[in-house]
Amino acid sequence: MGSTLVLVIVIVAAVSFDFTNGFHDTANAMATSIATGALKPLVAVLLSAVLNFAGAFISISVATTIAKGIVPPSATAGANGLSVVEAALIGAMTWNLITWYFTIPSSSSHALIGGLIGASLASVGGSAVSVHGIIQKVVAPGILAIFVCGIVAFLATTAAYALIRRLGQEEARAGYRYGQIGSASLVSLAHGTNDAQKTMGVVALALISTGHLSAVHFTVPIWVKLICATAMALGTATGGWRIINTMGNRITTVESPQGFAAESASAATILASSYYGYPLSTTQVVSGGVMGAGLGKRGGMVHWPVVGQMVTAWVITLPGAGLIGAAAWNISDIFGTNSKVGAIVIAALAAVVAAGLYTLSKRNRVTARDLDRTSITPELEAERAGAASPALA
Amino acid sequence: MWKIFLVAFAAGAGVVVVFGFLLLGVKIANRAGAGGTNNAGSRLGGYTLAAVCGVLCVGVVVIGVYAMTKKPSSKPAKPKSALVIPAHPYSSEHSDA
Repeated sequence: MGSTLVLVIVIVAAVSFDFTNGFHDTANAMATSIATGALKPLVAVLLSAVLNFAGAFISISVATTIAKGIVPPSATAGANGLSVVEAALIGAMTWNLITWYFTIPSSSSHALIGGLIGASLASVGGSAVSVHGIIQKVVAPGILAIFVCGIVAFLATTAAYALIRRLGQEEARAGYRYGQIGSASLVSLAHGTNDAQKTMGVVALALISTGHLSAVHFTVPIWVKLICATAMALGTATGGWRIINTMGNRITTVESPQGFAAESASAATILASSYYGYPLSTTQVVSGGVMGAGLGKRGGMVHWPVVGQMVTAWVITLPGAGLIGAAAWNISDIFGTNSKVGAIVIAALAAVVAAGLYTLSKRNRVTARDLDRTSITPELEAERAGAASPALA
Repeated sequence: MWKIFLVAFAAGAGVVVVFGFLLLGVKIANRAGAGGTNNAGSRLGGYTLAAVCGVLCVGVVVIGVYAMTKKPSSKPAKPKSALVIPAHPYSSEHSDA
């Protein structure tokens, strides 16, 4: 009974993390479409929610990898297993909420990995972590992702504006707005394929550690798929307006050709890297794409202080989420190994932190209405393109 | 990583260029249509260009969706991952496609 209660708490924590992942990463797919007025904000996030939900069912290879390959059995087996998984999820979820409050796009995937590393270190000790593996599998691909997508987006944007000179400003911009809807949809679908399944894998891991699932003949139960996909979709549908504002407006001024180029480059990079076995952070890929698109337009500029904030957040995501995960595990361990009291206490603490951040965020709210740019017609966009880019707040 | 860059470049930048030519085809066709029957050839050419480019764009999307369904975790398990894994009894049996 005790371990069943802890298992339920772990699943709730996983679903909660998936929810935060949803609203945190909506910006990746839809920020540029909202920023250019191609889509109304509410329409964009609803479209993204549906596609994230659908994407979660496409393939379970990521879920399988997470459940079997990322977390060592020695850290998650036995009495400690559920505590480690719960602490990891709390670390990741809390980090997501902190970066959301500070309006910084950060990688939910890296937050989950950081939480797992921190909780495993606290539970098992230093032998649980291979620094070389972290650098090879997490850090290096993360850095490369930004440059790969950034360069592709830069070249794509350059080509798009060259074509605009032939096509005529207004017609081309109107056309690229439609293209943005397609490319952004593909990014949403890819995100659902990758990120919802990470949580499915963690839930499956928890079920394996309690003997509810076979570790040998492994399948992800349909109810796990449903709750994770639903949580991701609901999180996406809440909007994450603060991060959408950063991604779509504060890094650079995005026009429809740039938005289309950034999202196309991002979708291609994400899918190519996943196919070749190097799953990259969607957030970092898209951020690189937006930067590349910003620089690809003649006279375009990137707001480097904002980029600096983002890069700082990316660098400290692994240790930050890890520290929170380790702290959560240590607090839980005060009440005994795999204690249900400990599980309830850290879940309650996480809920208090979440409520506090949400309350603080109301002081400087960003709403869908603030981000609605559909009044900016292609004609107006073309007219503004002839003037200097406006300074951003 | 080079493969990823090349594929991303071909698909990402390629789609933007092809989509641009799709818009160009539509523009040619619309302008020819406004010019009357003498421009029937241009109109046909414009629509043909747009259709071909449209098919290419859709094809890239289809390949992208296919890539999602065929994600290989078939990369052989490496001896060390981000977290050290003791000998796993089923890692070779369940290497995913």
